[in-house]
Amino acid sequence: MGDRFVERKPDALIVVADDHMNAFSFNCVPAFCVRIGKTVQRMMQDNAEAFDKVLDHMATEYVLHEELANQLLAQGMESGFDLALSWEAPIDHAFLSPVNTLLGSRPIPPLVPIFVNAFIAPQPTARRCFQFGQHIARVVAKSPWTVGLIATGGLSHFPELLLSRVGQTDTVFDRKLIHWMERGEHEPLLDLTADELHKTGSHEFLNWMVLLGAITPARAEVRYFGELPRINLAAVEWKLG
Amino acid sequence: MSRYAINSLLYHLKKDPALRARFIEDPAAAIADADLTGEERAAFLAGDMRKINELGGYLHLVMSIPKIGTHGGH
Repeated sequence: MGDRFVERKPDALIVVADDHMNAFSFNCVPAFCVRIGKTVQRMMQDNAEAFDKVLDHMATEYVLHEELANQLLAQGMESGFDLALSWEAPIDHAFLSPVNTLLGSRPIPPLVPIFVNAFIAPQPTARRCFQFGQHIARVVAKSPWTVGLIATGGLSHFPELLLSRVGQTDTVFDRKLIHWMERGEHEPLLDLTADELHKTGSHEFLNWMVLLGAITPARAEVRYFGELPRINLAAVEWKLG
Repeated sequence: MSRYAINSLLYHLKKDPALRARFIEDPAAAIADADLTGEERAAFLAGDMRKINELGGYLHLVMSIPKIGTHGGH
């Protein structure tokens, strides 16, 4: 997947992911936030969690695609998306793990990180995330750039965000989501409720919904589906044009 | 219900090593000023992360406080 990505010579890579009360906490929790500016820092934490620690070998600073980010933001405001913006929010494993997995030691194009509030209720709806993805696609289509788009986040894990349920997943639900994505049937996904996502531990699927809005009605090609001890994961590719 | 107070305390325990050290040393003194209900305070003093989570503490904070959180404990 990484080789195919690099072959297209992308000018920018949009990464849609969520914060874990690291970048945003008690002063503000934006529903959607576009990270603007020239560079972004990798989040550094003392006693980092394992999934952040594995990124220790990665650069501490990444170049951003400032123009694309600014256009997503400005055109979003003009077309009814009241987006938040940040010059300072750092990015953690949610953003960098997929970049690391996809590209490895290949060069990383200028990034446009977009934060979705996946965990702190009330979150944006699945439908709204999808619509925001459609906005991203419109901006990219009008732009002169070749743009890659990654959305990240586990499939079911941590149902109801209860410590007592850590370790449980909902594979039946996940397979249903995968089935719809493989068929390019996105309509049923628009009606996913906050309650369903919460109970199945699929909070981060909101990030996927943004991506689906951008690529609809393309069909997913599933590269990997795995049931890990605490989390279900999939690697899915959509090839466009 | 003081979801904010619980989570603010968890957040600072995660991010502020000095507060964390004080909490490990003398929990009652370290959280004396926090605006918690009796039940919430008792959960913190017992280091009962499951209870703190049930009372509204966000899972990702509960799981990720060095030396106190339960991350990696499974």
